[in-house]
Amino acid sequence: MPQQANVSKPNESTIKVPFDTPEHAKIAYRVLSVDQEPRRNFVQKTLSLEDDVLVVHFSADQVKNLRTAITSFFECLLLCQDTIKLFGPEQSETETQLKNNAGTQSSAHTA
Amino acid sequence: MVCALGIEGSANKIGVGIINDGKVLANVRRTYITPPGEGFLPKETAKHHREAILALVQASLKEAQLKPSDLDVICYTKGPGMAPPLLVGAIVARTLSLLWKKPLLGVNHCIGHIEMGRLITGAQNPIVLYVSGGNTQVIAYSNKRYRIFGETIDIAVGNCLDRFARIIKLSNDPSPGYNIEQLAKQGQHYIKLPYVVKGMDVSFSGILSHIEELAEPGKRRNKRKKQQDEPEPDYSQADLCYSLQETIFAMLVEITERAMAHCESNEVLIVGGVGCNERLQEMMRIMCEERNGKLFAIDERYCIDNGLMIAHAGAEMFSAGTQMPLEDAFVTQRYRTDEVLVNWRQD
Repeated sequence: MPQQANVSKPNESTIKVPFDTPEHAKIAYRVLSVDQEPRRNFVQKTLSLEDDVLVVHFSADQVKNLRTAITSFFECLLLCQDTIKLFGPEQSETETQLKNNAGTQSSAHTA
Repeated sequence: MVCALGIEGSANKIGVGIINDGKVLANVRRTYITPPGEGFLPKETAKHHREAILALVQASLKEAQLKPSDLDVICYTKGPGMAPPLLVGAIVARTLSLLWKKPLLGVNHCIGHIEMGRLITGAQNPIVLYVSGGNTQVIAYSNKRYRIFGETIDIAVGNCLDRFARIIKLSNDPSPGYNIEQLAKQGQHYIKLPYVVKGMDVSFSGILSHIEELAEPGKRRNKRKKQQDEPEPDYSQADLCYSLQETIFAMLVEITERAMAHCESNEVLIVGGVGCNERLQEMMRIMCEERNGKLFAIDERYCIDNGLMIAHAGAEMFSAGTQMPLEDAFVTQRYRTDEVLVNWRQD
């Protein structure tokens, strides 16, 4: 994170998301790094990896923008996590998994 | 032999399809249907897709009786379309690509429609009329590109139909266009509407405003002072549906015929959601017969947005050697048909 950005954009948030394995964390890191923040959102998003933990840092000039960025990030993160849970090599071919996941997905992002 | 899984989610349908060497193995789809009078909004549509997509991927693999390891490539819709629903497909496609260690390809939605239409009908080099809720284009292939000969200069033809259905509160189930088509069969009187063809291009927004006025006289009373004792309109909703279809489809047939004459082609292929309208197909067929041409049309399984068309177009790209690094696997709301280099066609 560049130093100067913190001076002009004081609102910050860091999210740490643990995964089952470093491989899964790396997959989520690569999947979620692709999308750039919309230019007019004035939010800086930085992803990094600490072993099996995905670390996401946000900084924005307005709290409102910070919230918007984090909300949409969580939607993508949850979808990616659910996909890994359902189709990852460890738990592949388990039919019962789906029902559990579908539930968490719908309730998780109503906020 | 390419086995491809395709994920489509650019508008209110979310679909997953699997194709193996041109053979359809699975094609599953769910549609986000809103109450009458309401359209679908990006955020709500994305939510619907998020809740449906993983079950669809599972269902497609089950239907195709394949394991992930049997696939060669994962394809998703890169654009054009609404960004939030597009992103749902892209996130899942990227994750699957990394989990299963398969290459990933982003496919242009319009190219998906064209290639699917060509595969199903066997049309070799047709003039393509691509008509849906978000796009209206007359397309001809030339020199490794699908070139846009004519298009709408404002809203898409399907958007015009959808919004008219909303005005008269028709159901969105199974689709507004289908319900307009059914109601139009009861139409008795043709009401004159503006006919807006500008060279090779068409325009629908003025027609929509005009018919809105006819459907709900008095709604815009402050704009034009109307007399209180205005007589009841002597036309029904069915007449309006019938007249709207006749007018806008005639416009589409006109520009398609001109493209045929220009390219000296005698084949027409209709793709896109509006393409399953049987009245449009009938009008186009009459025009084609008069020119000794041939019409190719497909049914709603392949006409309406589906994952299979993305899988098929992706498989064509894959076999031509196209590669896409993960960093380029983003989505884009604007992605014109002629931006794609058609490296899989030899003519």
